[in-house]
Amino acid sequence: MRIRLRVSIPATLLLAAWLPAAYGETRAAASPYLKDGTIAYAMTSLRWATYLKPDARVDCPDGVNDGPREQFTALFPDDGQPRVLAETQLRREIQGWFPTTRPDYFPYREPGGTQALGLNLDGKTGPEDFTSLDGEPGIDNQMYRALGCINSWRDAQGINDSLNSGEIVTQDYNRLLVELNGVDDLVNDDAVEVTFYRGLDPLHTDAGGQDILPGGTQRIDVRWGGKYIQRLQGKIVDGVLTTEPSDLLIPWAVFNLPADEYIRDARLRLALAPTRAEGLIAGYADVESWHLQMMKSQSTHCQSYGQQSSMSLYKAMRRLADAYPDPQTGANTAISSALRTTFTQVFILPESKSPLAGAAPPTRAAPYRGTPFPRTPEEEARDFPEVAAATADP
Amino acid sequence: MRGFRASEDMAVSGFNRGSLAGLLLSLLPVPVLAAASPTEGYRSVPTPPGVRVQATELDGPVFADAKGRTLYHWPLGQLRNGPTGDPPGKSECTDVRTEMSAGLMSPYPGGLQLPDLDQRPSCADEWPPFLANARARPVGDWTIIERKDGRRQWAYEGFALYTSALDRKPGDVLGGRPDKRRGDYPVSRQPIKPPPDVPPGFAVTTKTTGRLLVTAKGDSVYASDRDAPGRSACDAECAETWIPVLAPAFARPQGEWSLVERSPGVKQWAFRDRPLYTYGLDGDTNRLKGGDVPGWHNVYLQRAPAPPAGFTVQDTTVGQVLADAEGRTIYTYFCGDDSMDQLGCDHPTQTQAYRLAICGGGDPGRCLRTFPYVPAAENAKSTSRAWSIVYVDPLTGRFAKRGQDGALRVWAFRDRPVYTFSGDRRPGDAFADGHGEFRGQRNGFKAFWLRDDFFNGDQPGPG
Repeated sequence: MRIRLRVSIPATLLLAAWLPAAYGETRAAASPYLKDGTIAYAMTSLRWATYLKPDARVDCPDGVNDGPREQFTALFPDDGQPRVLAETQLRREIQGWFPTTRPDYFPYREPGGTQALGLNLDGKTGPEDFTSLDGEPGIDNQMYRALGCINSWRDAQGINDSLNSGEIVTQDYNRLLVELNGVDDLVNDDAVEVTFYRGLDPLHTDAGGQDILPGGTQRIDVRWGGKYIQRLQGKIVDGVLTTEPSDLLIPWAVFNLPADEYIRDARLRLALAPTRAEGLIAGYADVESWHLQMMKSQSTHCQSYGQQSSMSLYKAMRRLADAYPDPQTGANTAISSALRTTFTQVFILPESKSPLAGAAPPTRAAPYRGTPFPRTPEEEARDFPEVAAATADP
Repeated sequence: MRGFRASEDMAVSGFNRGSLAGLLLSLLPVPVLAAASPTEGYRSVPTPPGVRVQATELDGPVFADAKGRTLYHWPLGQLRNGPTGDPPGKSECTDVRTEMSAGLMSPYPGGLQLPDLDQRPSCADEWPPFLANARARPVGDWTIIERKDGRRQWAYEGFALYTSALDRKPGDVLGGRPDKRRGDYPVSRQPIKPPPDVPPGFAVTTKTTGRLLVTAKGDSVYASDRDAPGRSACDAECAETWIPVLAPAFARPQGEWSLVERSPGVKQWAFRDRPLYTYGLDGDTNRLKGGDVPGWHNVYLQRAPAPPAGFTVQDTTVGQVLADAEGRTIYTYFCGDDSMDQLGCDHPTQTQAYRLAICGGGDPGRCLRTFPYVPAAENAKSTSRAWSIVYVDPLTGRFAKRGQDGALRVWAFRDRPVYTFSGDRRPGDAFADGHGEFRGQRNGFKAFWLRDDFFNGDQPGPG
């Protein structure tokens, strides 16, 4: 059974009540999955929390964004003019790999309305914040503004949404495990330790290979996965795990290239059941890390599948970024966001942890800082001067 | 940080990891080597007069013309928007210079004028056809086709043959790619090779570490230090993890291959007297994981030459990558153009327009700072053909003459400079792996992977 989630805090609480029942489970401390105060899960899906509003006039009132193919045609119409590859194709690739904050050549279309999925990350309610589906104000999810009107990222219908999440299961590089220690019971516990590891093994599925079953075993990747060993502190209230904010590195390779997401001040809000967990990972996505992960995952060709222009999206994300200002420039480097996620219970083989005993804590990962010698907006304006002249600087 | 460590695998290399002796041996034809050193063997097949088998450092034995120039073919391949390459019995590589892009790779349309047209060679300039004289007659899998200009051209297994304008000496394989590549790589030329000297059920794959022996299914093959020559010490419990590679009842010893009788009627293949196994916990094909178990080693038919002295190996989240002395990941640049000819654009003698765009946004200075060349120290010497020291003009990216103003003396692999990425901040970072068009498969940078534990062994090493 698959669960389609629209989560806010009250919704998570409802889910917490419903989830065990849905699987015919109890949260008794004697559950075979909770042993010696420990239970572990493997991530089975991960999606940027966009939200399709039922009213299309509100959802994307100006329509969806153009992608590389449409933008190329607009810049270089098929008008019989001879074109030079270095001044067309390569300049577009340059804009993708050396993006700038120069205002876009093309209008950027964002979702309308005031509702979004996510959490209140800063504890405040501001003019840019959304309201949850349950009416909670202060929801921080500027990523939704950036992605919400790009076809490929739209919830459950965009190719990125399904492809990227599918790779969470099929790609061993992305095998993220979460282990809860010090758990007295799965309903209420005021202090649990939450540790992330990377696992080494494929997920345990049913005979059809589609549904992921609990009870599988996982070995911890001690050899290459040290960066992913991360500890957070949390508590369980009414069956919902919440963690204190902490930076989180998530392995997320798509199409066989190593890539990661780096979420600042990440926090989990997961409804727990003995065999499943699901909810949100919310925090501030590091923009440069996000852009790199996307560029490595998708060529311009793949971006074209879902009308996603990497250069337009980068400009939008930098414009909408709302946290972690650069000490030199003052420009924000991270964007509030939320990821919907699901987990299935696994047993971590204790012997696979033994190399960690007495070992120094792994070096904490650092976010990607972006291309070390970026182009300036002025340089970008020189790429297509006629178009640049028609698009005003702010 | 550790120095280069390439000795944990079974020492079956024909090249002494970069020694001068290994270099000299590598330049000799394989039959000479076969008796003297354990270089990769091959099975003899009929060849036309003058065609010989040439040993190479990275690609094993290849067919070459009478002057030792490697022979390549260019089989038809499908790209995003259509096919190109040679169909059987026909050469599409002509003397006519191609001027426009083909639009075979979306989303960009065809009909765009290609860069540096004034210096652009024709396909046949870059890939001279291997011509047959008037008296030549087909032999074995070697046939003769007629080119569009009426000249006769040799073909092997139906596909027209060429040499590469980039190859200068016998044993060079600078023009083509070691193996046919999947994904969005160009339709590439590959060196043609005699059949490998392996029994049915085995195959050989080219890795950055050498010519790796695998089963026909792609599972890596291992040998154990505990085994005496011709005898397996792996008992029933051991064999649950280390699965003996069994030979059929009718198998017979051949060349370097022998048979070990595990129990009456049950035969196990051995190579160079070492019984062979696969590793039950490898998880996927082309893996090197079993070599982590003490006493167990991957089996190579020949090892790749060692990288230059001072280079290091770094652990990453994927496996191991080659790095410079400071631990910075080494990158190679890979480029094939979107023309019907699919010409290369990653060698310093070829157009640099693509590289300068992707490494520096078209600015050679930014390119140099973002992807610096790897300098060769004053006293550094190349000890292999694969790793050489070249002089480049940093602003043009072209080869320079020694002593030329501003020229840099840098390390090159397969005659192409290698780079680091200034966005990598710590040893093991490989942020620029896949930087460029089609995830680095057509115009971009790839990390120099020595080991890949996560992507089915697919992290392609440098071409």
